[in-house]
Amino acid sequence: MKTTADAVVIGGGVVGAAIAYNLAKYGLKNIVLCEKDTFASGSTGRCGAGVREQWGAEGNIRMCKAAIDIFENLQEELEYDYDIEFVQKGYLMLAYIEKEWEQFNVNIKVQHKLGVNAVALTPQEAREIVPTLNTEGLYGATFNARDGHANPFHTTRAYLKAFERLGGEVCFFTEVTGIEKTNGRIQGVKTTKGDISAPVVVNAAGPWAAPVASMVGVDLPVYTERHQILVTEPVGRLFDPMLMSFSRGFYSQQTPHGSVVMGIGDPNEPKGYDIGHSWQFLRRMCDIMCSVVPALEGVRVVRQWSGLYTISPDAHPILGTVPGIDGYYHAVGFSGHGFMLAPIVGKVIAEMILDKELSIDISGLDLGRFERGDLRVEPSVV
Amino acid sequence: MESSDIRITQHPILDFPDRRKIKFYWEGKELEGYEGEPIASALHAAGIKVLHKSLKQGCPRGFFCAIGNCSSCLVVVDGVPNVRACTEKLRAGMRVEMQEGVGPVPASKE
Repeated sequence: MKTTADAVVIGGGVVGAAIAYNLAKYGLKNIVLCEKDTFASGSTGRCGAGVREQWGAEGNIRMCKAAIDIFENLQEELEYDYDIEFVQKGYLMLAYIEKEWEQFNVNIKVQHKLGVNAVALTPQEAREIVPTLNTEGLYGATFNARDGHANPFHTTRAYLKAFERLGGEVCFFTEVTGIEKTNGRIQGVKTTKGDISAPVVVNAAGPWAAPVASMVGVDLPVYTERHQILVTEPVGRLFDPMLMSFSRGFYSQQTPHGSVVMGIGDPNEPKGYDIGHSWQFLRRMCDIMCSVVPALEGVRVVRQWSGLYTISPDAHPILGTVPGIDGYYHAVGFSGHGFMLAPIVGKVIAEMILDKELSIDISGLDLGRFERGDLRVEPSVV
Repeated sequence: MESSDIRITQHPILDFPDRRKIKFYWEGKELEGYEGEPIASALHAAGIKVLHKSLKQGCPRGFFCAIGNCSSCLVVVDGVPNVRACTEKLRAGMRVEMQEGVGPVPASKE
């Protein structure tokens, strides 16, 4: 492992990998990525891996639109030998209560203003897109064909392989235990494999973002929360788009391989780092999805697991610098949608570090917004 | 040689109790087997060795691990895909089909 670097990225999830790759692509030479476990082992590899433009808040819509632009060419850009499995079969957002349907209709106006071609559908029209859908109790749905999903392991690995080809160093099982700072300037990091001196440190530690930030005295207003998920055996095509509902709290996609991945939020979930899983989830998840797509009834579950959301007060990520700490950057608090934002966040954080013109305006997503009381509002989070 | 000749009748540890002969279907064709034996056993005895076509290239797959672990012998039974022929017991009238790749969406209960 290098003992001096131009930048150290903390975190081998998709966000850290995308930042490291973009730094290298923009020409920075000596970059080390430190990951305490292996790639995608935190939140990335446990996520539902959906990518959507159908948000309620302008900032999220803009960022996800830019991220999808990148996703569409990512396989080629990263010259990846395997398939990142990016599939654009849309998201079908299902409204089961009147309030949700009203919210969708508000969201879709904002989406149209920003150039997202989502459409509002009657339950019958939704059934034309997903013939296996049970429309009972459905108010309506919105559909955006450009949304989709990708394979989080392959996407992260593709970024890391491209980063390494550009000369970057990836250190797995290397935990950052401290960040050195003198006179408000970052000096480097201490790790379980030795020290690295570097003028730039990027915190992309996902669920461990707050403990990492505390190493430089930054108090991040984020907390972690377990979200459970399961996967079925592979079966023939049941549905193409990602299915999602906020009132019922679920999302589900059928992977290109044919297995169905599904997750559901639990309003009673305590904060913390527990990533165990429960039979109660299994039962609740299966009951809900079998009512949404009754054909799932005969499909077996093969595995369940859980991962952590790192939730910020306004469900938007916290990006950029912290005044008074020169050389410290963070991309944290993604609140359950870090995977879909990673391509654009990776790019824009690299641009920020290298003092380049930013691809997208993220000025409102700094840590200072919480002190200023300038919170973003996102009505559409599972 | 009659196909049932490949069955083992004597074994140093295992006993082979008499079982009822029953009829079942492979790809719509009527076959005979013993009630309660693994589906794969009845199919092998009938000389049928290709049970499944692989996911990506459709290559033939058959009886392999024999303990329900490897997914090589997945068949469709009465419209339900991903049934392990090596561990699922044969019942009278079962309709067993070769599974092509991931197989069909399971038949609805209605």
